[in-house]
Amino acid sequence: MVGAAEEARLNRLESQVDNGGGGAWEYLCLVQKLGARRSEKVLKHGLSILNDPRARSRLGVEEWTLYEQVAIAALDCQQIDVAKECIAALSMKFPGSIRVGKLEGMLLEAKEAWADAEKAYARLLEDSPLDQVILKRKVAMAKAQGNPAAAVEYLNKYLEIFMADHDAWRELAEIYVNLQMYKQAAYCYEELILCQPIVPLYHLAYADVLYTMGGLENIQTAKKYYASTVNLTGGKNTRALYGLCLCGVVIGQLTKGRNKDEKAESPDMSSLAAKALLKDYKERSPEKLSLVTTMMKNMKLIS
Amino acid sequence: MAEDLVLDTAIRDWVLVPLSVVMVLIGILRYFVAKLMRSSQALDLKIVREGQLILRARSLRAAAGFVPAKSFRARRFYYTNEENGLLHVPKGQAQNTQAQMFSDPNMAMDMMKKNLSMIIPQTLTFAWVNFFFSGFVAAKIPFPLTPRFRSMLQNGIDLSTVDVSYVSSRSWYFLNLFGLRGLFSLILGEENAMDDTQRMMQMGGFGVDPTKNLSTEKDGLDIIQHEWALPKIEQRAEQILRKLVK
Repeated sequence: MVGAAEEARLNRLESQVDNGGGGAWEYLCLVQKLGARRSEKVLKHGLSILNDPRARSRLGVEEWTLYEQVAIAALDCQQIDVAKECIAALSMKFPGSIRVGKLEGMLLEAKEAWADAEKAYARLLEDSPLDQVILKRKVAMAKAQGNPAAAVEYLNKYLEIFMADHDAWRELAEIYVNLQMYKQAAYCYEELILCQPIVPLYHLAYADVLYTMGGLENIQTAKKYYASTVNLTGGKNTRALYGLCLCGVVIGQLTKGRNKDEKAESPDMSSLAAKALLKDYKERSPEKLSLVTTMMKNMKLIS
Repeated sequence: MAEDLVLDTAIRDWVLVPLSVVMVLIGILRYFVAKLMRSSQALDLKIVREGQLILRARSLRAAAGFVPAKSFRARRFYYTNEENGLLHVPKGQAQNTQAQMFSDPNMAMDMMKKNLSMIIPQTLTFAWVNFFFSGFVAAKIPFPLTPRFRSMLQNGIDLSTVDVSYVSSRSWYFLNLFGLRGLFSLILGEENAMDDTQRMMQMGGFGVDPTKNLSTEKDGLDIIQHEWALPKIEQRAEQILRKLVK
């Protein structure tokens, strides 16, 4: 994930480079460092450096990392010929390197030659069975082939070893949500919350999963996690506010007819959330205010 | 106190400067030899897994309050149960690292390489300095010092009458040996400058028992009292919303 300040810097540099202000190499370095995915720009500016022998030789040894970056960007943009050239240059320079081997595997992937790519990765894994990138490539490949069950299997195998890798947990959680396996997804989100307890997005996603699972207990828990998202974002997260409203309504329906003293506190929170939502809409999107107001009225959250 | 000694300029030209230059060159040479001999260390599955496991267990311990009690208990059972918990180390299986070292020839080989690249050039240069330059004063530092420094600066000269600010050639060698680190970090780059003092420290600190880490982590998890933080957070969120609505 890219922080807001860094993203602003990246965008500034990008517009500078786009308008011919120079600094292409700095831009490429920043993209690399942040792990941003701007393949088209990287391809364009990277190629302009690589095609200029003077600029290229000025980079020194960094030339080869640029080749790698451009190759990956080209694969992302389906410019297979360009990628092929870059990878050929790299394998001339570094014969037998695992890092180049990965690129060759990715080239096969881009051509959708799945069996060959699989073979290439298997060969690389013989040399270094604990290579995280290759293991993740296999997951990505399973996903690209439209086979989430296999991706889940690979990811689980990966997480058995690298169990502190939270990006992998997030990926697994998202796949589980897509497969509607909410219990498993909830487990993954719990793991993410444990790993980084102050990231509001994980609290929000966990609450979503719990709400989707349903049942009084789950929804009460979901409400707590929506509340904690509100707490972590200072009430700026619209989705969390909606979540609080819905949780309040559903809890009200589920506990209807039971003893009343439990119910006493719950509508308070959701009506507060509803008011906060309305205020937010009034400020930022007044034309939709009436829609939201009628909806809230239908849910009996505001009078 | 004796009068000022007059140092021959030939000493500067043929001892002081050559000694320093030789030390620098040897340092650089050794760096490249070490680079040649370094074998990329293959990661061991078990060690990687244990490291990751400890990280994960630690984050569970640190952030226990952020998950519901049921999830916490399930995880704790998963980690610490006595039959097949991840952190549970069966008795007797805790092999000591000494035995592991002997069973793995690569490890011993690595150590030997490290030591060879350190000890051999050091003994050689020390013998060389001792043979050619022993027993005379090679330099004078421009400020006075207390007699305590005599053993540091006048190694090889057993005269109590010589002022402490004179440096013997053998001491000059030692000063160079330990003091050139800054220069190496300039020449070879920040992380490559490994001086001998550091290496000696590394020798002492190896051989930590990984199973011990696991059982400490297990004990830590066992004694944790789980307290769900969310109800409190909910109240705080309510306050935030109140403030927002106002």
